[in-house]
Amino acid sequence: MKRFVAIQICALLLVSGALGGMVAFTPVYDEVRSGIVLVLCLSCLKLEPKTNAEFTFFTADNRTHAKFVLDNLSKGPVFLHYSGDACAGCDVMYPVIKDLFDVEFGKQDMFSTIATFESTPIPYIYVNIHHTTNELRDAQVIYDKDYVGGIPMFTVVTLGYDNGDVKPKYTTLYGTLTTYGCDTDAERLVFLQQLLHQSIEMYEQNKAGYQP
Amino acid sequence: MKLQRKRLLSQIILFFSANLGYPGYPGLKTGFCYPFFYCQACPAATSACPLRSLEQSVDKGSFTWRLFLFPLLIIGFLGILTGRAVCAWACPIGLLQRGTGRVARKVKKTPLAKKLGAHKAEKYFRYTKYILLISLVFVTSYLIGFIFTDICPVGFLTGTIPVLLLNPGKFVPNFFFPFAFVIFVLFIILIFIIERGWCRYFCPVGALLGPFNKISFYHISVKTDRCKHCNVCSYNCPMGIDVPNMHRDPECILCGKCVNTCPEELITFEKTGWQ
Repeated sequence: MKRFVAIQICALLLVSGALGGMVAFTPVYDEVRSGIVLVLCLSCLKLEPKTNAEFTFFTADNRTHAKFVLDNLSKGPVFLHYSGDACAGCDVMYPVIKDLFDVEFGKQDMFSTIATFESTPIPYIYVNIHHTTNELRDAQVIYDKDYVGGIPMFTVVTLGYDNGDVKPKYTTLYGTLTTYGCDTDAERLVFLQQLLHQSIEMYEQNKAGYQP
Repeated sequence: MKLQRKRLLSQIILFFSANLGYPGYPGLKTGFCYPFFYCQACPAATSACPLRSLEQSVDKGSFTWRLFLFPLLIIGFLGILTGRAVCAWACPIGLLQRGTGRVARKVKKTPLAKKLGAHKAEKYFRYTKYILLISLVFVTSYLIGFIFTDICPVGFLTGTIPVLLLNPGKFVPNFFFPFAFVIFVLFIILIFIIERGWCRYFCPVGALLGPFNKISFYHISVKTDRCKHCNVCSYNCPMGIDVPNMHRDPECILCGKCVNTCPEELITFEKTGWQ
């Protein structure tokens, strides 16, 4: 009996010590909060959001644009790709984006590059919310224009003219793009190509007046 | 206060505690995992589903030790203290099944249910939850990226349906929706025809908690030497356990119904090591 109680106490001390240590000395609490609780996997939710792909000047809750986006915007329209682990929708979109920019990277990598599309440089930033920095992860809510709070999510930030000023203008797409009429990878690719084409046109029209 | 009323109160309080995350009311979104089955996709959820964290830890051949260990340690901590009592005293799905239990107890009296319940294969069918845990939470997540969460009936009930109701017209079903819907309907039928049917046969979180009954401080003890084998305890057990012959059974959820119903008061809660 005494031996059994000793085993129980040892097990409890081991587990509680390990749990306390993990919370105190590793980022697991923040990882779970920001990567699982605050940002949902849309395919796990079994739903696709019905949103439009129109460009807007207004960020979610009028937050200021992310610094890394503004820094890259002087090079060309910025493409943000939010993805995550154990997300079927992210897995569907991952190869489409790789084809779109002809790039190669691991799903859990932190990856960014200056891709080229129609001879225009496109700063492409891939963010796996479960393997990234706080700055990149936190930017997701800035561009979550329809307050979906889910992944996969794609944002294109370009330039637009607004009452005498040239400002960042962006649009955000969600899920596997089925609500935009894309059911196959080829249709998704064409849709994103058209969106990029439109964002490049807007960028070219306004870049002369842009002051970072 | 009577034991079953205390349990109901505990279930209600913990149900509300699990739902303090609705934005602004009070918007408490923590980085903990629930020690029971509840979906973080629920608009009011305060914490993460432990299964989701485990699935992510082994996504497509990868291994993230923190996401793997964290839910197991939370479940392990409560498991060592109270065994599977979380299922009876805290889990919102347990509370739901408490509501459907009245119908299930009536069904239990039918001859067919009696025959099936007494079938020798029934006890083997309880291993389904362990198979689900290993296969859909770990193996398919690791090998092909297909996860239990994609078709989870609890997620459908506590995540998908509330999101659809709170955002009418904002979402449309995706590829997994029809499959999850069928499983959800079967889940509803199950909990109406078998008392605690989900906990008995299918709950992967119950499969994680169950083995801790073997070493938990809190457990149910039966004084078998004085037992008259009237089987009132077994008949009232919502998990369908042969109570007089159980010893730290992984199926026992420590609901205390056997404690209440034993006419000889031979069944008690024990607190090993705390006397």
